[in-house]
Amino acid sequence: MTFLNKITARTGLAAALLAGTVMTASAFTACQVTDTGGIDDAGFNQTAWKGVQDAMEASDIEGRFLESQAETDYEANLNSLIEGNCDIIVTVGFLMGDATKAAAEANPEQKFSIVDFAYDPTIPNVLGQVYATDQGAFLAGYLAAGMSQTGVVGTFGGINIPPVTAFMDGFYYGVQYYNEQKGTDVMVLGWNPESSEGLFTGNFDSLDDGRAFAENLHQEGADIVMPVAGPVGLGSAQLADEMGTDSLKIIGVDADQTQTDPEKAHVYLTSVLKRMDSTVTQVIDMAMNDTFEGGLIVGTLENEGVGLAPYGAFEDSIPEELKAEIEAVKAGIIDGSIQVGM
Amino acid sequence: MTDMTSQATPSPDEKLDSASARRARIMGGVLIALALLVLFGLNVTPGEVATFRLTTPRDAIQVGNLVVPGGPFNMIAAALLAFLGVRQFLRGGAKWTNLSLGIGLAILVMAFLVWATAGKSFSLTGMLQATMVRAVPIALGGLAGVLSERVAVVNIAIEGMLLAGAFTGALIGSLLGGWVGMFAAILVGGGFGMLLAALVVTYRMDQIIAGVVINLFVLGVTSYVSSQVFSEYRHLNNAPTFRAFKIPLLGDIPVIGPMLFNQNLFVYGALILVAISTYYLFHTKNGLRARAVGEHPRAADTLGVDVYRTRYIHVTLGGMVAGFGGAWFTLGSVGRFDENMTNGRGYIGLAAMIFGRWHPVGALSAALIFGFADSIQQKLALLNTPIPSEFLAMAPYIATIIVVAGLIGRSKPPAANGTPYTKE
Repeated sequence: MTFLNKITARTGLAAALLAGTVMTASAFTACQVTDTGGIDDAGFNQTAWKGVQDAMEASDIEGRFLESQAETDYEANLNSLIEGNCDIIVTVGFLMGDATKAAAEANPEQKFSIVDFAYDPTIPNVLGQVYATDQGAFLAGYLAAGMSQTGVVGTFGGINIPPVTAFMDGFYYGVQYYNEQKGTDVMVLGWNPESSEGLFTGNFDSLDDGRAFAENLHQEGADIVMPVAGPVGLGSAQLADEMGTDSLKIIGVDADQTQTDPEKAHVYLTSVLKRMDSTVTQVIDMAMNDTFEGGLIVGTLENEGVGLAPYGAFEDSIPEELKAEIEAVKAGIIDGSIQVGM
Repeated sequence: MTDMTSQATPSPDEKLDSASARRARIMGGVLIALALLVLFGLNVTPGEVATFRLTTPRDAIQVGNLVVPGGPFNMIAAALLAFLGVRQFLRGGAKWTNLSLGIGLAILVMAFLVWATAGKSFSLTGMLQATMVRAVPIALGGLAGVLSERVAVVNIAIEGMLLAGAFTGALIGSLLGGWVGMFAAILVGGGFGMLLAALVVTYRMDQIIAGVVINLFVLGVTSYVSSQVFSEYRHLNNAPTFRAFKIPLLGDIPVIGPMLFNQNLFVYGALILVAISTYYLFHTKNGLRARAVGEHPRAADTLGVDVYRTRYIHVTLGGMVAGFGGAWFTLGSVGRFDENMTNGRGYIGLAAMIFGRWHPVGALSAALIFGFADSIQQKLALLNTPIPSEFLAMAPYIATIIVVAGLIGRSKPPAANGTPYTKE
């Protein structure tokens, strides 16, 4: 170490000059490691990558991504990016929490940001991005309860982890809130917040699971289903397409799925938005302007980090009254008069 | 002299007898333990009934719901299990061991379902229909394995062939329609079968490694195209699906009808392929030759069977079956391709083949057990049972292990399996 320092000290001037020219010549590089499910999953990974793409368009920077095919790829992907001169490395997904922590501690000079994970205590070179998705899902639950013909709605998840179950919690409590307000008895299948147990596919890959799980919920009476399992939900959309939206409607998650899955746009009642694109862009800006520091940014209904997508094909079939109520609930959540969760 | 030796050491037959008697007694003990489990572990609140819905309002023939009083049912189930167990333990009838265990497991599953459903209801018919659907890719994967391993080529590449079939089905199906997509998937699957055959028969490459190479290759290529091309040109990944069609009359039978006679092309296809390959392998001259190549290639060669050619043909046929199974994922289910969407089903198919003792019907049965456990766990997750969802997700695998270990015991692969053949 000291030996190296001496060398740098002696060649300091030359090095500084060289570094200066290199820095102006090479653009800022933002790198991303995706979770399993792929960059084109019409949801989670794709939305986070859109954040980098937006930043690439807005300012002249370079963007790169590495896809994780399996959980065993996280570490390898991180290591290859660390060697690849990234100005910031964004890891996408709760499951990458441990790998990111290890990489950040081993490379304190490298800036990291992770989607869906909050470290306690914070790591100085990692900025976590988390989302109050339960707020958005609460609105979706309220809408679903108001739109269900059978009085049964359903949800299922990929893996029983907080970023997934936050959606299911919000959905559940949104339905309960509707029941409280209207004196109805709409039932939620697939998630029980008290026992933290529910219906899970156990993966984010098998689209046919999405079909089978939605069919299962439909057999038990659900006519609106919210899959929280990345691309797996595209299988549910196919089933809704075949059955017709009178029998089954889908609520998308992460991105506005009428945009990311346009062929099946007519089956989505709405989508619970988790604006990873906006927080990722924000983080890249911070890193570029040297305002980056470790900690946490939280997307909420208030700062539009989460929200509901437009109603798409159902714009006309959702009663105006229900739409107005949802706006009121949204305002209530923002000003704190309505509590999400019990 | 011979008399004396036979008295001193038990003959192989006697040894076998005592081993199977011991196994019979162990099974007896297991059954008694299950009876106690049902009696004390699966308590139903008195008066609660489990409701199994058999028909939906849309069905042509309406049957009432199956309503089972929980307490009495499980009491009877425990008694039956105890009877089977005690009988097995005391008499040790080796002949009946498997049958008793089979009946015992069936009773256990029923008691468990009644316990979980007490006070609630679910659609039994829907569950059975899902069982069939979920078994299809695994059964076809297993059948692909049977065809190639019966000629002594270990086929790890089934996973890759399924994925290739799914990909081709989506791509060609989007461009030229479902039928063309399906045939293209079969061809591509067959192509990978032929590639595997070339690597291991002609070039005598290690069979496991050749299979893994194909799997990694297919995963890499399809993921690349999916993320780089399909995300840009969406119309290439928007295939039509084969819808379920009801076979007249048979499809209206309650419970059985929806399960067997109101499915899509792939389900019927899988059943027909299993029947054809069973007939082919065990009742035709060519089938016998193929099996001979798998058991003793040298002998088969001596008798004029072309070992290389036989292996090429059957591994290619296996690949075609896997390609058809792969097309199920896209053309028979979700209408689009996504990275790694087969998610290990090929390996489970391989396991189904081993559990099914390298027999097409056996592979289908193992796949059905797997599908049954899989659809049960989906229903249980909705019933708010006190079992953690992670354990429920394990159910398909645990069920398969129990059935295999308990019912099937040791299964024997074709004698020459995995070894290349060098003609002298």
